[in-house]
Amino acid sequence: MASSSMEVDNVLSEQKVLPPKPKFEPLKPHEMPGAAVQFRKVSVPPHRYTPLKKVWMDIYTPVFEQMKIDIRMNLKGRKVELKTRHDTPDISNLQKCADFVHAFMLGFDVIDAIAILRLDELYVESFEIKDVKTLRGDHLSRAIGRLSGKGGKTKFTIENASKTRIVIADTKIHILGSFANIKIARDSLCYLIMGSPAGKVYSKLRAVTSRMAERF
Amino acid sequence: MANTNDAGVEALRRLQQIDPPSLLAPNPSVSETARSASQYLFTTLRPFSPKSPLDELLVDGYDAEQIWHQIDLQSQPLLSTLRRRLNQFVKNPEEIAQFKVPLDVGKKLEKKKRVELEEEESDDFDEELDDDDDDFEGVEKKKAKGGSEGEDDFEEEDDEDEEGSEDEDDEEDEKEKVKGGGIEDKFLKIDELTEYLEKEEDNYEKGEERDEADEDSEEDDELEKAGEFEMDDEDDDDDDEEDEEAEDMGNVRYEDFFGGKNEKGSKRKDQLLEVSGDEDDMESTKQKKRTASTYEKQREKIQSKIVLMEKANIEPKTWTMQGEVTASKRPINSAFEVDLDFEHNVRPTPVITEEVTASIEEMIQKKIVEGLFNDVQRAPKLPSKAPREVKQLDDNKSGQGLADLYEQEYVQKTDPTSAPLSFKDELKNEASTLFKKICLKLDALSHFNFAPKPVIEDMSFQTNVPALAMEEIAPVAVSDAAMLAPEEVFDGKGDVKEEAELTQAERKRRRANKKRKFKAEAVNKLEKKARLEKKADNAISCQVDGNFFIYPYMSNAALTSHLLLNLSHMFIFYYQPHFVKNIKQLLFQLLLYSEFLNAVSLLHKLDLCCLLKQRAEDHVC
Repeated sequence: MASSSMEVDNVLSEQKVLPPKPKFEPLKPHEMPGAAVQFRKVSVPPHRYTPLKKVWMDIYTPVFEQMKIDIRMNLKGRKVELKTRHDTPDISNLQKCADFVHAFMLGFDVIDAIAILRLDELYVESFEIKDVKTLRGDHLSRAIGRLSGKGGKTKFTIENASKTRIVIADTKIHILGSFANIKIARDSLCYLIMGSPAGKVYSKLRAVTSRMAERF
Repeated sequence: MANTNDAGVEALRRLQQIDPPSLLAPNPSVSETARSASQYLFTTLRPFSPKSPLDELLVDGYDAEQIWHQIDLQSQPLLSTLRRRLNQFVKNPEEIAQFKVPLDVGKKLEKKKRVELEEEESDDFDEELDDDDDDFEGVEKKKAKGGSEGEDDFEEEDDEDEEGSEDEDDEEDEKEKVKGGGIEDKFLKIDELTEYLEKEEDNYEKGEERDEADEDSEEDDELEKAGEFEMDDEDDDDDDEEDEEAEDMGNVRYEDFFGGKNEKGSKRKDQLLEVSGDEDDMESTKQKKRTASTYEKQREKIQSKIVLMEKANIEPKTWTMQGEVTASKRPINSAFEVDLDFEHNVRPTPVITEEVTASIEEMIQKKIVEGLFNDVQRAPKLPSKAPREVKQLDDNKSGQGLADLYEQEYVQKTDPTSAPLSFKDELKNEASTLFKKICLKLDALSHFNFAPKPVIEDMSFQTNVPALAMEEIAPVAVSDAAMLAPEEVFDGKGDVKEEAELTQAERKRRRANKKRKFKAEAVNKLEKKARLEKKADNAISCQVDGNFFIYPYMSNAALTSHLLLNLSHMFIFYYQPHFVKNIKQLLFQLLLYSEFLNAVSLLHKLDLCCLLKQRAEDHVC
């Protein structure tokens, strides 16, 4: 019985010659069924307005040249607008550029933010001090001081050890880096917020980073 | 007794009245009276001579000699006793006063004696002696006086007799008294003794073994013995021996014979002055006793000591001498008072004196100077494995951007060899290069394990080190690899041809060039010469060229020498190898001009310069 069915199938397949598997290129943004041109608007906070003006070309060039995304500054609306072009290779470019610009708006340097464009898996994590521990008045100030350290050395230590970039904007903290590194940085910062002395945090950092280095 | 007494008295009286010449012829009545008188006297004296065997003078049918012998028997001991008594009295006159009113010889006397004895102290033996002597002398006195005062004599006799008897009895009683005073013990009871003696006194006249009783009493009283022995020694050896033997039984002491001080011994002594040698001993001892001689004192001391010691021996011992004593067996806190000797297990604490402190300080100073501290040094712990690389945390702002950072990381992961040098690696490299440099230098100095200097290919100017440097003893480590190559040294142009290789045209061309050059130089020289001649006076410095020639035709030798000297100075400061040839020429010219002095000096200077330069160059290399 089976053999007979099989035979039937074979006979059927043999009869029809299937066409080769089609190869579908990824859709370009403008071909997508949604909006042909996609936009992203990143608002510029007032304290980043002047720095933006200074480093505009550093932002514009990689976005426009390499990412092939249209970028313009809406001065009236104080926004940076991004738009896909017809030759934008990948829809994710737009998002990446938006993230890159957003990262700059948060306070990161261009050279650090550029990494977003270059690497896929970089994220920005933001949290507030009050998410970790409710602090008021002097305690809050002291916590911020603890996070930065003298001349920012604690922050730099964490950055260097965990290969991330940290921006401490008053009570908001932004961390830029890969997922695991963000975790390391975040943990260290949380310990500092909660009151650990810097030396203790360093020793923990040392242990974690050495383990991380050994792993790979 | 009374009748006989009266008869006797009568007889004596009659004798006294008889004329002495009538005694020359034998007269029976006189003899009869004499016999009765003597009998009477004998009987009267009988109580005072206790040891005489005769109770009564036997006169009937006896010869004069026999009677005399009887009297002698009685009187001899009496005499001795009386003598002694007299001697005693001579010594102690106060004892004479102790004699009392005479009483009847017998019980009355005895009673009185007892009364007297209770008041007196007595020398036992001496008193007895003295009593005997007293009795004897009483008799003598009587005889001597005759009938002058019969009653008085009699009284005297009686006194003396009484005294004697008293003394005799006094002796005993006094002895008893003395004994009672100091020496009464369980054996001797004074009261018993006195009773006994009284009894014996009662038996005395009866003559019932008086001697034996006395002897017994004396034996009972141990203290009488010595005296009696000595007293009766000469008279009655047997008795003395008996007495001595009897007394040897017990302890003989000084007091037995001589008693204490202030006794009747003095009386006795007065009466017994003329006694014989034995009595002299007695006297001497009596003398010793009276003055409390040193010997006596010593003896007393020793005696007291002996007494104490014996007492101590008898008593139970003190707890310190009892061996093992627990706390219960000794009084409370008695161990504090006693200086106990026991082994201390603890070392005695050192007495801190100046010497001790000085010695300690000296030791400390010595140790400080030597550095010999007994510091505990940690044992070196050898690392079993290499120490783990501890990651250094960098607290500076990282120069690289985040992108570069990740790029590096990625590259490291993919291609580990192209990993950039970490900070640590750079330090390592620096350290290694330094170490190599040092090793090279050390090797060069010590000529051990020579390795040539490593060629570090970097842009630097090379100097053409002369090969002479190689011949130096000190740094051998100069390789001519760093020297300029011949082509670098060569400053010619194009293809160099030898003389033999030249064609005619080329030869001509060369000659023509040479001529042109020479002419040009000649012109220059002339100009220079003119300038130099202007500066001849100063002649301080001259320009030193690569090609400097001295004209051999300069007439001014001085000038030449001067120039040469200056040149030498210049050479010292600016040494260039090109000048070697020129300097040689200079020297030759100088020598030609016989400027020896200058030439030599110049040569010396040149030598020095050469040496210095070589050294300098070597160091530079």
